[in-house]
Amino acid sequence: MLALVEIRRRKLQFGFVTGVVGLIAYLIIMVTGLGLGLYEAAGTALLRLNGDHLAYAANSNLSVIRSRLSDADVAQVQALPGVERASPIGYVAAVIEYAPEESDTAAIIGVIPGAFSEPEVVEGRPIGGPADILIDRSWVRVAGTRIGDTLALPVGFQTREFTVVGIVDQGYFFFQPAMFVDIASWQDLVFQGDAMEEPAASLVLIQGRDLDGVRGEGWRIVTKQDGFNNIEGVQAQQSTVDALRYMGLLIGAMVIGVFFYVITLQKVSLLGILKAIGAPGPYLVGQGLLQVLVVCVVGAALAVALAILTEATVLASDTIPIDFTTSAMTTSSVSVVIAGVVGSLLSARQVASIDPIIAMQQQ
Amino acid sequence: MAILELRDVSKSFGQGARRVDAVREVTLDVDRGEVVALEGPSGSGKTTLLALAGALLTPTAGEIRVDGDDITNYGGQARTRYRRDRVGFVFQGSNMVPFLTARENLLIVGQFGGADRTALRLRADELLEQLDLTAVRDQVATSLSGGERQRVAIARALMRDPSLLLVDEPTASLNFELGVLVVDALLSEVHQRQKACIMVTHDDRMAQRADRLVEIRDGRILADRSSFETL
Repeated sequence: MLALVEIRRRKLQFGFVTGVVGLIAYLIIMVTGLGLGLYEAAGTALLRLNGDHLAYAANSNLSVIRSRLSDADVAQVQALPGVERASPIGYVAAVIEYAPEESDTAAIIGVIPGAFSEPEVVEGRPIGGPADILIDRSWVRVAGTRIGDTLALPVGFQTREFTVVGIVDQGYFFFQPAMFVDIASWQDLVFQGDAMEEPAASLVLIQGRDLDGVRGEGWRIVTKQDGFNNIEGVQAQQSTVDALRYMGLLIGAMVIGVFFYVITLQKVSLLGILKAIGAPGPYLVGQGLLQVLVVCVVGAALAVALAILTEATVLASDTIPIDFTTSAMTTSSVSVVIAGVVGSLLSARQVASIDPIIAMQQQ
Repeated sequence: MAILELRDVSKSFGQGARRVDAVREVTLDVDRGEVVALEGPSGSGKTTLLALAGALLTPTAGEIRVDGDDITNYGGQARTRYRRDRVGFVFQGSNMVPFLTARENLLIVGQFGGADRTALRLRADELLEQLDLTAVRDQVATSLSGGERQRVAIARALMRDPSLLLVDEPTASLNFELGVLVVDALLSEVHQRQKACIMVTHDDRMAQRADRLVEIRDGRILADRSSFETL
């Protein structure tokens, strides 16, 4: 194969462009991983809740922060046809001091103990009383909190102590590790004991069918995914990440395109000679595309290896929200290869259009 | 018997005031086992004539036959096949694939299809030996001398056992002694294998070594004589 022999004998030239393609692919994988990480941090705790629909307050514009539902709202939702199970949940952010001079915010989610809305405990036991709290693994990694430790959550001008009874794997909500308490405790945290204003919940988690778009006087139901998509900043954040990815792919396509175009221009006389001695145009175009494929595939493989190395070293501390999944790496790599092939089409056109008469003009 | 037959062949470039008649009503036959030296000043039309015979250009008028087949109006794929299977080109100066060895430069024609690769390998080794290139067969083209490169080009032109060889200024970049070696190697192959050959040259001394001399001026044949007559 002419294409492969050329790569083997011109290692420096092709090694250089393979390195550049690898760095671009690495950048795209990092951006994709960052997008996934941010997506997860925005609200996996919501996505992992054991339901398929959510009821919001009608005037909340699908904002979990603004949504407040009364007992009557919750009761109406629970009684709807198509609802199999429905359970109120509450949300509030709280600053938690986990060590002297060390604090961080957490998403406190109130659930009815024993209800389907209470997440599965991966270590320890479920909520058994008003002073129990379940914490996410991500909090354990950041704060080093263990089962049996106590956490002080602010209630008005005082703090209320909760005992860690279990660890869950629910992830984040609003970029904060999720924690789960009895919904009655959540009401205390949010309204600080002012019984006159206590709502029943922020949302109602529902298991049921044909409920998307159903509305009541003070509430409306959407799918859980729609609820997630309406988390403040999620859409803008994903659009930004997507724009970065597309920009990376565009730059990759241009770099590969320009490199192979320059190489083609350097080889015009040689390609003319090959055509003159009987090389079919499609054969030469095919050889060029084979070189592009080799460069892109090797570059993408290097990028994947570099990303895995990065994940194992730099990102091991889990402070940067980057998530490398096999599918993200595969998608990014395939995208780089496709972008490279698209970028090289100009060169392919150039090769196809070379007139073999050029071989007679090498004076 | 003529392998190449040109009948009233003309080739023009451009139109109107910019029209250039590069070849005008040329009639020429080249027989089996014959080397015809095409001589003339720059711009006389000799390279255009070579390109017409090699189906790199289409004539404006006239007819071109090779082995009795009319190639005048061959389409794209037929032209590619014709150049691959029935014509051997030797171009002026360096025309090797620079990153391939001498042997690989011969074997490359096998990648264009239509040939038994094992037979081509045997043929490549045979040609390299005949042209005294065995010692440099595994050297990349850029490390070969000018004379070696031209002999590799001759060997490559013979790889598909074509009936017609078209050679453009094979000694232009060589000194006289090397030029004689290259032209003698070409003559030997043509005579021994009974090919027809047109060799474009500026060099009278090289032209005298051919079997026939055709002098061309302003696209027309001015003289056509055997080299014996010129002595």
